[in-house]
Amino acid sequence: MISAIKIEHLTKDFPLGFGHLKLRAVDDLSLEIADNQVFGLLGPNGSGKSTTIKIILGLLAPTSGNCRIFSTPSGDVSSRRDVGFLPEAPYFYRYLTGFELVHFFGRICQVEKSKLKDRVEEVIEWVGLKEAAHRRVGTYSKGMLQRIGLAQALVHDPKLVILDEPTAGVDPVGSAEISALILKLKDQGKTIILCSHLLGQVEDICDRIAILNRGELILEGELKDLVSKKDLKSILVQNYRDDFNDELSGWLRAREARMVGVEQPQYSLDRVFLEHVGRSELARENLSERAEAAMEHKPASGKDSDKEKTP
Amino acid sequence: MNKVIFSPSRIFIIAKNTFLEAVRQKFFSFLVVIALGIILSSQVFRDFNFGAPELKFIADFGFGAIVLFGSVLAIVATAQLFFSEIENKTAITILAKPIFRSEFIFGKFLGVSLLLLVFTAMMTIILTVLLFWREGTIMRLHPDAFVEGRIVAYADVFLYGIVQWLKFSILCTITMVIASFSNTNLYSVILSFVILLICHLQYLARDAWTEIDFVPVQIAVFMLSAIFPNFQLFNIGDQIALGESIPFDMGARIVGYALIYILVFNLLAVFSFRNREI
Repeated sequence: MISAIKIEHLTKDFPLGFGHLKLRAVDDLSLEIADNQVFGLLGPNGSGKSTTIKIILGLLAPTSGNCRIFSTPSGDVSSRRDVGFLPEAPYFYRYLTGFELVHFFGRICQVEKSKLKDRVEEVIEWVGLKEAAHRRVGTYSKGMLQRIGLAQALVHDPKLVILDEPTAGVDPVGSAEISALILKLKDQGKTIILCSHLLGQVEDICDRIAILNRGELILEGELKDLVSKKDLKSILVQNYRDDFNDELSGWLRAREARMVGVEQPQYSLDRVFLEHVGRSELARENLSERAEAAMEHKPASGKDSDKEKTP
Repeated sequence: MNKVIFSPSRIFIIAKNTFLEAVRQKFFSFLVVIALGIILSSQVFRDFNFGAPELKFIADFGFGAIVLFGSVLAIVATAQLFFSEIENKTAITILAKPIFRSEFIFGKFLGVSLLLLVFTAMMTIILTVLLFWREGTIMRLHPDAFVEGRIVAYADVFLYGIVQWLKFSILCTITMVIASFSNTNLYSVILSFVILLICHLQYLARDAWTEIDFVPVQIAVFMLSAIFPNFQLFNIGDQIALGESIPFDMGARIVGYALIYILVFNLLAVFSFRNREI
């Protein structure tokens, strides 16, 4: 099976302008991202995430090593045919309307003319900007910019979608909708690379993650393997009383097991928030159901809840 | 995976977008203000009532305005429309799509060149209307000076506009070469103005290099005359204002000269931008 992305011994140095001094942004990175998964690329600021993404997109040339997208070298323009990219803090042409912007990128990606208008309308509806589609991008709020950025990344129906901080500046409802959209994209067979500092969101939707620090890969694997406490199990019990503790501990000891603690399970704050703002469908435990529900309940107004700019 | 091939349609998409951006920003109002300024200044000229020399004055004034504002527009618009893509990171979103950097450069050039064409055409039309109207007035006041009919060669006024547009397009490509490697917009603008000055004085270097004894300076002056275009070649305004017609072969040579420089500087911009890390 062809990997969506295969990175081998990738190193990137930036000259510092003082003699031969260089800053190593990415250090001997090897990574393989399989097709049809949500992959989280994590790390603190300055860890080399953005540099790695720019190399994947052919915007930067590696100092050494190589990177392939669906087997095509990333420096080759053809490799970007099946890639959609949402940059961090996207800045788009302010004088274009949302529709014109997505249409422009659709034409750049050579979406068939006969299908382009419908496709633009479709992705704009997906991201919940239908009613704001004919307003100038300069009047959009930060959250709306992220959404229109997502629409331009998806307009040519790419197989690989790279999202750099897609929920930066987006409120919890918008963030949950974007998470649901990412899961929907995965259901459609796409591969998604997600760079985010919102680890809760990453934990919610990613299949695998890689953590970079100072340009080096320090951890990579299946998310559930990395975060689960393998030697512990939790049991959720209804009507539990504290006086059960001694008896239960004894029962467990007799079977060479040990009760570590009794905890009160909690809802996440995200869930509480979403339920109270009337978007409980986004707070479902089952992620696939949540994706379906999100698609069925698109925002009615096409507006963000954060304050919009005055035109 | 299908190979992406060089596509003129993507160039036109970028060009159209660049032109639209320029028109929807402040450039368009800038053009309108300049055009209105020229029209309003005709009220002042009317009071001079010089007779036929007044027409030369108006033509000189109009040609000067086209050259001055056109040059400023060519440099500032190019730096703004090209460099701002890098500064504002819109270039990242575009170049992350299946598009060649050469298509991006050519598209930017075509867009700015179209803007310069609109500007030059607008100014030339306004100048022509002004000259025609004033010539008619003076003809009525001094019929003896116009026994052979109108003296302004209006076709040559339009030829002047075309030649200036080509000059501005060369200036646009020079600015693009600079912006392709520079790190600030201001640097691109200042260096472009310095090169504009060199191009206007290039003929001095061309005439002087053989007479310089010190070899390194001689080589430097020769390089200046060889690399930079001679903008004095485009200065046909004096001939037109004096009523001399422009021979066809001279016009054709100027056009050919301009097209070669436009092509060479475009290729230089592509070469410089090809490996730029965005």
